[in-house]
Amino acid sequence: MNQSKGPWLKNSGFVAVVVVLALVFIRLGFWQLDRANELRELQKPYVEKPIVALSDVAAPSENLRDSAINRVVEFSGQYVAQFDAPGQVDNENRVQSWLVGLLEVNGGGAILVVRGTQAEELPKGEVFVKGRLMVRQFEDRAPKSEDQLSRLDPSLLVATYNLPVYDGYVVAKSEVLNGKPLNLKRAQVDPVKPKVPGYYWQHISYVVIWWLMALVVVFLPFYSRQREKKAKGSVN
Amino acid sequence: MNGVIKRFRIMAFAAGIMSLLLWFVELPVVYLLDNPELASKVKWIPFVHGYVYAFYVLAAIHFTAKARFTIKRMILFILAGTLPIASFIAERRVMREFPLK
Repeated sequence: MNQSKGPWLKNSGFVAVVVVLALVFIRLGFWQLDRANELRELQKPYVEKPIVALSDVAAPSENLRDSAINRVVEFSGQYVAQFDAPGQVDNENRVQSWLVGLLEVNGGGAILVVRGTQAEELPKGEVFVKGRLMVRQFEDRAPKSEDQLSRLDPSLLVATYNLPVYDGYVVAKSEVLNGKPLNLKRAQVDPVKPKVPGYYWQHISYVVIWWLMALVVVFLPFYSRQREKKAKGSVN
Repeated sequence: MNGVIKRFRIMAFAAGIMSLLLWFVELPVVYLLDNPELASKVKWIPFVHGYVYAFYVLAAIHFTAKARFTIKRMILFILAGTLPIASFIAERRVMREFPLK
């Protein structure tokens, strides 16, 4: 009984290894194909989506979803603090210091809002904000102090303010206080383009290689069997 | 067999040269130097390397199958195309074992 089970188990284990390896290579091919398609999508001009409420695309204490990045959002609340953020670069590569407010959003949570490029008093009262949601910054551009942010990253304020914060920050396009628009010189930024390293045809070449590897894995057992047969034939 | 060996030699040279360019030119320029202009000049290297390697794999399988190499040797020949000088070494070994007539 054990003698007949041995080779069967060995063969099925071998087949399982071949199938798993082939599936892994096929999956890697699809991964590269996705990257190639992603790159092609990125080369298309950015299409603006309709304005949404901030709470529809993001929530406090949660990572920013990919689908929320670059969306123009609207929300209201009250500013609780204001900071300078030096070393910021606008869409014309001008290095500026931005005026950034921490706004407590109606409905819960707080979010960083880039208000403009010049000093201005912190508005008192309920402010209605429209602006573009951006990914938080990871690299410092200046030293951090009480009234200065080293980068646009809400996590820098978590320890100081006892508020759940939204990930990322909003570059305001407009602010309305008590029905009156606040006229500030706004920071001009373009929608961020996520970076996918490499080039379209490079990723396609990797698709070819991974799928070729899958074929090789399937071919090798047949090659091995054929080789054994030929060896036996030459002995006989 | 001579034709198969010649094809393998050509692809081993091509894959070796493309691997050298990829490892020692394209990767340092893109990941170590902050020079987009230079990076755009070497952008052809990774995808030419990709296609050359695919043809190298086919040539390696064809040659190793004809030479009745073991599976282990076949896999080593396939992998030789991924490292800068390994395909040159593989080519030299082939020439030692199968001198062209």
